[in-house]
Amino acid sequence: MGPLSREAWAQRLGAFRTSPSAFMASPEGEDLGRDLLSELRSEKLSEQAKVSLLALSLEYPAQLWPDAAAAEAAATSLLDTLVLLPPRPSALRRPLLLAATTALAAGDALGPTSGASRRLLPLLLGLASGRDLGRGFGPASEQRPLQATACECLRELESCKPGLLGGCLGLLRGLLGQEGPVQPLSLLLALALRNTLVIQARARAGLQGLLVAGDMPTAGGPWNWALAEEGDAHLQPQAPSWPAAEEEECGLAVLEPSPEEARELRAAVAQLLDSSYLLTPVAQAQLLWLLGWALRGLRGQPPVLFKPQLVRLLGTAQLTLLHALLALKAAFGEALFTAQDEALLLRRLTLAAQHPALPLPTHLFYLHCLLNFPENWPLGPTGEEAAPLLLGPRLCRGLLPSLLHDPMALLARLHLLCLLCAEDEEKEEKGQDWSPRQYLEELLAGLRQRAALDAGPRALATLCFQASYLVVHCLATQPAVLTPLTHGLARLYRARPALAPHFVDLLDRVGPELGEPLRAVLRQEVVSRPGRDEALRWHLQILAKVADGNTPSATLGFLRAAAAHCTDWGLQQALLQVCRALLRAGVGEGLADLLQALARQLEDPDGRDHARLYYILLAHLAGPKLGVALGPSLAAPALTSSLVAENQGFAAVLMVQEAPAPIRLSVGPRQAVGTVPVLRLHVEVLEPVYSLELRFRVEGQLYAPLGAIHVPCLLPGRPCPPLLLPLQPRRPAPTQLGVRALYATPAGLTCHAHLPPLPVNFADLFLPFPQAPDGDKRGFFEELWDSCLPKGTESRLWCPLGPQGLEALVSCHLEPFVVVAQPPTSYHVAIRLPPDSRLLLRLEAAQADGVPVALRTDDWAVLPLAGDYLRGLSAAV
Amino acid sequence: MAQRAVWLISHEPGTPLCGTVRFSRRYPTVEKRAKVFNGTSYVPIPEDGPFLKALLFELRLLDDDKDFVASRDSCSHINKTSVYGLLVGGGELWPVVAFLKNNMIYACVPLVEQTLSPRPPLISISGISQSFELLFGIQDFLYLGQKNDTELNTKLNQLPDLLLQACPFGTLLDANLQNSLDSINFASVTHPQKQPAWKVGTYKGKPQVSISITEKVKSMQYDKQDIADTWQVVGAVTCKCDLEGIMPNVTISLSLPTNGSPLQDILVHPCVTSLDSAILTSSSIDAMDDSAFSGPYKFPFTPPLESFNLCYYTSQVPVPPILGFYQMKEEEIQVKITVNLKLHESVKNNFEFCEARIPFYNRGPITHVECKVSFGQLEVFREKSLLIWIIGQKFPKSMEISLSGTVTFGAKSHEKQPFDEICIGGTAYLKLHFRILDYTLTGCYADQHSVQVFASGKPKISTHRKLISSDYYIWNSKAPAPVTYGSLLL
Repeated sequence: MGPLSREAWAQRLGAFRTSPSAFMASPEGEDLGRDLLSELRSEKLSEQAKVSLLALSLEYPAQLWPDAAAAEAAATSLLDTLVLLPPRPSALRRPLLLAATTALAAGDALGPTSGASRRLLPLLLGLASGRDLGRGFGPASEQRPLQATACECLRELESCKPGLLGGCLGLLRGLLGQEGPVQPLSLLLALALRNTLVIQARARAGLQGLLVAGDMPTAGGPWNWALAEEGDAHLQPQAPSWPAAEEEECGLAVLEPSPEEARELRAAVAQLLDSSYLLTPVAQAQLLWLLGWALRGLRGQPPVLFKPQLVRLLGTAQLTLLHALLALKAAFGEALFTAQDEALLLRRLTLAAQHPALPLPTHLFYLHCLLNFPENWPLGPTGEEAAPLLLGPRLCRGLLPSLLHDPMALLARLHLLCLLCAEDEEKEEKGQDWSPRQYLEELLAGLRQRAALDAGPRALATLCFQASYLVVHCLATQPAVLTPLTHGLARLYRARPALAPHFVDLLDRVGPELGEPLRAVLRQEVVSRPGRDEALRWHLQILAKVADGNTPSATLGFLRAAAAHCTDWGLQQALLQVCRALLRAGVGEGLADLLQALARQLEDPDGRDHARLYYILLAHLAGPKLGVALGPSLAAPALTSSLVAENQGFAAVLMVQEAPAPIRLSVGPRQAVGTVPVLRLHVEVLEPVYSLELRFRVEGQLYAPLGAIHVPCLLPGRPCPPLLLPLQPRRPAPTQLGVRALYATPAGLTCHAHLPPLPVNFADLFLPFPQAPDGDKRGFFEELWDSCLPKGTESRLWCPLGPQGLEALVSCHLEPFVVVAQPPTSYHVAIRLPPDSRLLLRLEAAQADGVPVALRTDDWAVLPLAGDYLRGLSAAV
Repeated sequence: MAQRAVWLISHEPGTPLCGTVRFSRRYPTVEKRAKVFNGTSYVPIPEDGPFLKALLFELRLLDDDKDFVASRDSCSHINKTSVYGLLVGGGELWPVVAFLKNNMIYACVPLVEQTLSPRPPLISISGISQSFELLFGIQDFLYLGQKNDTELNTKLNQLPDLLLQACPFGTLLDANLQNSLDSINFASVTHPQKQPAWKVGTYKGKPQVSISITEKVKSMQYDKQDIADTWQVVGAVTCKCDLEGIMPNVTISLSLPTNGSPLQDILVHPCVTSLDSAILTSSSIDAMDDSAFSGPYKFPFTPPLESFNLCYYTSQVPVPPILGFYQMKEEEIQVKITVNLKLHESVKNNFEFCEARIPFYNRGPITHVECKVSFGQLEVFREKSLLIWIIGQKFPKSMEISLSGTVTFGAKSHEKQPFDEICIGGTAYLKLHFRILDYTLTGCYADQHSVQVFASGKPKISTHRKLISSDYYIWNSKAPAPVTYGSLLL
């Protein structure tokens, strides 16, 4: 982009400021950083225009030069511009120094490898020490402001990279003693001193004479980065966290300077404090925070050095100074503030918190400080707001709230009043003065009166409820406070039902101490005034919140009466919300009738559907399930179909969820008895399940459909008897059973899981024949044997035997089916295969390694299965 | 101890956005540190647009408080200080120090040098008090002596340059922005050593010291058996010292006549170099007795160049300057009022002006007035539902004056008539406005001869005094009135 006029730049900068992100995303944003740098050297642009360009770079370096390399290049360019300035006075030198510093510090470019850093640091230090840098750095008149600016730049760099100036402490001390500008040098020295102390303490090193070495790093010589590298990992808070926190972490306690070092340190601190009156109040406060932090926990450095400053500070109302004083109090406690000092500080703070000459934000901050006052010997739990011990009722008198206060002041003072009431209760009532509790009651009543104003802004109502909440929060254990509060709120509702959303919100936030009685009185308040009025929708909103199992008939009566007036969708939904609440609360009687009536009577189809849905839920779900299905309570239904909204709430509960299997099933050893084959299923329980239903599906049409198995409850670790699954084969064939589990979780969800298929083996179908009546077993067998032919078939095969021999094989697999036995060599076996097949085996003349088997069946299809079965037996023994 | 960003936003109710960002300044090097210190709880400074919207919402300054919004109106969303959390960009920006004054919102975000979760107490954040000082400083700069919008705009245009001086990297160097302005102008002056940072140049010219004492008297009068009337004097001593030299020393003594009321709750300017412990401990919190320190109150100080408030004090005078009662009874559409005012004999009966304003809130416009005053004139502002009883320069010899009559009101229309959240039903007040020159209620004065100046040349010393009413309420004694706890301790 070519050179722009001043106006064009102004326009461009304006567009940028409106939304930097949008501007940088546009094609125009691409070159802004580069254009800005080159424009600074343009001769056409006025100095003032260039200053505004630099001002932009001070605010948005990250947008203009987004990475370290770009920042480094920008800083280099800015430094080049600076040295190229003609020797006459210029308004650009100061902003150029600030901009180069900002670019390096904000762009992460500051470091020993950065060329710009190696140029900037000696330049700044040279300017700060008032050295003559040659005519390029402007006329003498500019030296003083530039010296101050250089100090500020160094301080910012030291803030971002602690330890950077560790090697310059002696030099800075020397400058402060001479003619240097007091404030910039004091603040710079204090910061560098504090950072050095922290870094050295962490490295367990001493000050190593850093405070006295007065040498200037030689011009062009290497900068000492050693301390900065050590400090780099820990960016240091300039102000300590409150109070004396992380003593260990900051590591100050371990630094034990040698007597000589301690003396030097004391001298440096005293030098800083002695000239502190020359600093502006805000700078004085910074100095105190820094030095307090530096000396805290340092052995051999008693904080008495601060003592001469205290009286002067106590007298002012300057916010930063009093705040710094509190910081010193927190850091040193009794070592700096005696009990009398503490009392005086507290009194000054108390009067500052209400002094008519100070503005409201200051009052509020001081009130906060009072409730967080760093006491020498705190009694209460830390981290909680509390009135300090020395702040008795007398001191508090002027800090109590009144209706004339601004809302924030009222709440802050109300908190104090609540704390007083809490104490008051502990001390028993004295009966003379107005007790704080009485006053509290009056105040709350006044707030409610204001909230009840019809034309009043919402802020008044909000304030009333905030105050009520605060009181309940602080005084939840005092029925003497809560009872009038409850009744007062009920009266407020009667006066202005439009505050219903506030009531609902309050009920959501307070504990049962107020919540329970308030629910009861509000319910009473609503149902005792049936009929049609404009407040109906508020009444319904309240009822939806407070309706429960208590006095359901009154509530239902109210709803029946209200139904006739619920003519629009919103009111109908509000009405149904109440029904829903009753449904949840387990109100059954009467509700079903109402829902049925609503399902017929409501004009809006959505409302009718809804009522019907609730009716169906009520009729079909048991209490606990209903509770889960309807909870947690929904917000007001969205403006789309409320059924959809409702679904989002309990669809999850009513729908069956897919889940991983909560149990493992396996087929146990069979017991061949009875008239049908029965599988014994063993259950391993992985998670608790309720109302388990196991459904089985047979692949193909081999068996008749299987009935489901129901188990009320299964818990891990609790033994479960085997489940019996009767099979009804249509053909005597093995198969696999698909298994699905449907169950309820303890959370009330209904889940569905696929279990691994269960194999049904050929042998699982075996059944014995009923015994022959007269004991002629052999004849019975022969009869069966003969009956197979001619319809069936006969076969012979070789059944291998394992080492145990035939006897073991029979007893293990065929025992229930043996009709005639001549152990150990001969067995006649008759097996019934449902539905109506038979398998007859003659195992005779067993040899060492096998037995010949003669086999007959009346069903051709069984033959290969039987063959496989017999051949597989020896392996299974 | 630094600021991440600062904003000035004019509040413009009725416009689409309800406000405009008039000035904003970000400090990227501080932001860099915030990112490190705050860690995972870090929320970046938003752009001006989203910040404006979030701040106005939180301060309830958008025109949309018709509906209940939980994130703003919930009872547990309690703010007890001028420090807010703003929902921006999915995070909560905290702490945002902000307040509204003269339709201008002053806001900034201080650096918190630790994690923000859990939130540290404000007292532990060093940048908080600095935020307040910066904003107060900007406010003083914009509004002290400012008369119109053009001047305001001029001053707003000066702000970027001023903050470049007073707060170049986000760490505030001087809350007195006028100083920074002067230092830009004084840039060519060579500074001698040990120049205080709060004093930009030196004065050249005729030495003079001007001291003015302004007392404001507040009162709440109820005319009831069980509620005590209250009144309090608040004093401010303003000085302008035109003296040559870098660090001239001045001591000013405030004195009281023999029956004067002791000064209490004294707060001094930071330039005061030492304070007597009697001054430090004299406080309104304690019960008064005859042993109370009654001066002279000595304030040694090294003055800055500009006019400054040397000290503030309060005092409890034995009687209010004007004692009165106000009785108002509602009778359907009209009210019957009786007012009686009595000037205390010890008070100088020579006012610059004195008037009683009798507002009628939450009612319709005044349609008819039938009132009789024993002294002065009555002005009626029908649309504003306001009566002003102009008493004038002097009370009559009897020192007692009265007003009685009836006021009739028309139908109430919400838009026009004044709404008040306190004055509901019979609860009503009249407010006194008066000013007496060359007089203080405590009797406090600065004796010209007691002013000690250690500087070259004998300065001309001028002193001024005045008493002004401020929040001087007389409540309707025929109805409930808001009370403070102090009023109940008879």
